[in-house]
Amino acid sequence: MTTLATRRQAGPGGSTASHPARSGTSSVGRPGFAWALPATIFFALFALVPLAAVAVLSFTSWSGLGDPEFVGLENWETLIADPVMLQSLWLSLLFIVLGVVTQTPLSILLGVWAAGHQRNRAVLSAIYFIPLLLSSAAISVLWRALLDPNFGLPGQLPWLFGDGNLLGTQAGAIGVLIFVGMWQFTPFHTLIYQGAAKGIPTVLYQAASIDGAGMVRQFFSITLPQLRNTAITSIILMVVGGLTTFETVLILTDGGPGTDTTITAFYMYQEAFQSFDFGVGSAIALVLVVVATLISLVVVKVSGYDKMNSSLEGL
Amino acid sequence: MNNRTWMSRGLAGTAVMMLGLTLAGCGGGSSDASSRPENELHVTVYGDASNKVEEAMVAKFNETSDVKVVLDTIPGADYQTKLQTIIDTDSAPDVFFNWGGGSIANFVKADLLLPLDDFIEEDPQLKDAFLPSVFETAEIDGKSYGIPMRGTQPVMLFNNSEVLKQAGIDAPPATWDELLDAVEKLKAAGVTPIALGGADQWPTQMWFQYVFDRVAGEGLFQAALDGDTEVWDSEESREALGKLRELIDAGAFGTNFDSVKFTDGGSPTLLSSGRAGFELMGSWAYATHLDANPEFAENVLGYSEFPEIEGGKGDPHNLAGNTNNFYSVHKDTRYPEEAAEFLKLMYSDEFVQEQIAIGNLPTTTNTVEFLDQASNPEYAKYQFDLVKDAPHFQLSWDQAYPPEARVTIHTAVSQFFSGKIDEDGFIKAMQGL
Repeated sequence: MTTLATRRQAGPGGSTASHPARSGTSSVGRPGFAWALPATIFFALFALVPLAAVAVLSFTSWSGLGDPEFVGLENWETLIADPVMLQSLWLSLLFIVLGVVTQTPLSILLGVWAAGHQRNRAVLSAIYFIPLLLSSAAISVLWRALLDPNFGLPGQLPWLFGDGNLLGTQAGAIGVLIFVGMWQFTPFHTLIYQGAAKGIPTVLYQAASIDGAGMVRQFFSITLPQLRNTAITSIILMVVGGLTTFETVLILTDGGPGTDTTITAFYMYQEAFQSFDFGVGSAIALVLVVVATLISLVVVKVSGYDKMNSSLEGL
Repeated sequence: MNNRTWMSRGLAGTAVMMLGLTLAGCGGGSSDASSRPENELHVTVYGDASNKVEEAMVAKFNETSDVKVVLDTIPGADYQTKLQTIIDTDSAPDVFFNWGGGSIANFVKADLLLPLDDFIEEDPQLKDAFLPSVFETAEIDGKSYGIPMRGTQPVMLFNNSEVLKQAGIDAPPATWDELLDAVEKLKAAGVTPIALGGADQWPTQMWFQYVFDRVAGEGLFQAALDGDTEVWDSEESREALGKLRELIDAGAFGTNFDSVKFTDGGSPTLLSSGRAGFELMGSWAYATHLDANPEFAENVLGYSEFPEIEGGKGDPHNLAGNTNNFYSVHKDTRYPEEAAEFLKLMYSDEFVQEQIAIGNLPTTTNTVEFLDQASNPEYAKYQFDLVKDAPHFQLSWDQAYPPEARVTIHTAVSQFFSGKIDEDGFIKAMQGL
C-alpha cells in the first residue's frame, strides 16, 4: 500500500520534471470526451430535457391540474392571433436595441477610463461598480420608491417630471425600465471593457504618439478597433439579458400600464404562472428560444466573430 | 474550440435554462388516500401575521387527537401558484386556505375537493354558525366546499376627516352626486380628491365592483360569471361605465394614479398626509394606517359605505370585497373525520377571540359577543354590522372568476381608467373571458 502510493506519487512527478517540454505538447491535442461529460450531463438535464418537455407542452392544454390534454396547434393559433404576443416581441426588440444603444457607449468610455492610471481612479471605479453588487429585485424596489410620483424624486422636481406619471404612460415606463437597466448593467460591461482596454499593448499607443496622433485619434484608431471582440461579447450578453429581462418588469411596472411593457419573457410568466395556462406559456417560451437563437446567429454572422482568432490583430 | 458552436449553444442554453424552469415541479396524476402520510393531517395556509392564531388552533387540536395536524405555511405572493402546483399530487394538503369562489372553482371542476354537506348534516353549526352572505361564497353548484376562517374584508370608502372639513365637506358622501360635489370641493382646496393605487390594478377594480353593483344590482355580474357575456353590453353596463368615466373625467383621481401603488405605501400615505380626501380600500386599510401612522388611524381616519347611485337597481347596502377566507378539504384526505373535527374549531369562542385580538374580523354569529375586545371596537362593530346587514356581499371580481381571468380583468380596468380603451373596448375585453 505504502510503496504503491509512493511509486504513484513519484511516477508522473518525476517524468514531468525530467521532460518539461512534454506536458506542454500533450495538452495541445483535443481533450477526451470524458472532459465534456459533466457539462454535457448538466446541459442535457437542465437545458435539453426541459426544452423538449416545453416543446411537448406547447401542444397541450394544462392548468397544472390533472394530465396535460393534447390540443394540437390550438395554442399556436391563439398566439398568432394574439395582439399582446406580437406587441411583446416588438417591445423585447425595442428593449434590446435601446439597452445596447445606451449601455455600450457609456461602458466603453467608463471602461477605457477605468483602465488608465489617473488619480482617484480606483476609488471612483469602486463606487461605479456598486450597482453590480445589488440584486435586481433590490434595485427595482429601490427605483420604484425613488420614482414615486408624490413622495419620490418626481414630487420634488416637478419642472423636470411634470405630474410624475412616469410609470403610468408607455413612453415613461419604457424609459424608466431602460434607465434602470442601464444603471444596473453598465458597471458589468464597464468591467469587461476595462479588462480588455488594459490588455491593449502599449506599443500601439507609443507608435501612434510618434506618428503624432492625439488622444481622440488614438481612441478611435487604436482603442475602439482593439475592443471589437470585447464589444461583441458584451453586446451578446446585453441581447440575452434584454430578452430575459423579467424581475425589473415584474416589480417596476408589472407589465403595465395595461400591457404597455409586457415583454415576451414577462408574458410567458403571466400566461404560465398567473393565468395557469402552461400550454400557451410553453409556446411563448419556444418562441423566445427561436428568437434568441436567431439573434445570436445574426450577431455572430454580421460581426464576423466566427472568423476571428485573436484580438491582437495587426501585431 | 469552434466559436460559433459554443456561442449559439451557450446562448440557447442560457435562454432555455431560464425557460426550462417553467417545467420544474411538473408532475400531476391522481393520488389516493393510502399514499398519504399516516397519522398526519396537513393543513396549508397563506403565510402571514395571522399564522400565530392558526398555530395555536393546531396545538389545541393536537392535544386531544391521535392524528396530528401539521401546519404548512406558503409565503403570501406565491400561495395560489404553489397550491395549484401541488394540489393534484401526493403532497397535496388535506385542508387548505383559499378565497372561495373562483379560487376553488377549477379544483371543484377537476373533482379534487370534498363536498362538506355530510359534515354539515352531522354538525349543522358548521354552516349555521357563520353569516350567510359570507358562507355562500364557497358554495359551488349547490354544494358547500369551504368553512370560513380568519376574517371578512369588505371594501369601504375611507377618508381623511381633516381634509374634508377644510374643504367644507361635512359628512362622507351618501350619494353619487354628493361624491361628485365633494370631488369639486376637494379640487378647489388643492388636493387630489381620491387616492388610487392604479399601478396595483386591483384597487382600480374596486371602483368597478361597486359602481356596477349599485347601478345594475348583483345580478349583472353573476349572469356574466355564469357565462352570459351579453350582459356586459347591456344598457346598465354602459351606464355604469358612463358613471366611472364621469368621475375620472372630473379629475377625481388626479393624473398620476397609474404610477401610484397601495402595496408600497404610496396611496395610503397620500390620504394620511392630507394630500387626498378619499380612498376606496379593503378594511385592512385601517391596519395599514395603524402600522404606519397610529395617530392618524385613531383620530383622523374616517370610513363610510360606498355611496348610493340614484335610480340604480342595486341595494345601497350591498358590499364588495373579500368576503372571507375559507378552509377546503381535499377529496383524497386519509382522515376526513379528523378534518371535520378540526373545522369545528373555526366557530369556537377561543378562535373568534384570538382572531379579533390580532385585528381580523371573523364572520361567526358569536363574533358580536367579543367585538369589545378588538383594538378599535367601534371600527370592528361598524364593519361587522355592514357585513351582517348586507343583502349581498360581492366577492372581488378577480377572485370570483378563476385565476386565469385575473390578468384580463386587471388589464381592462386599468386601461379603461387611463383612457387607453373606451366603453366598447372594456365590454369587448370582459366578453372575452
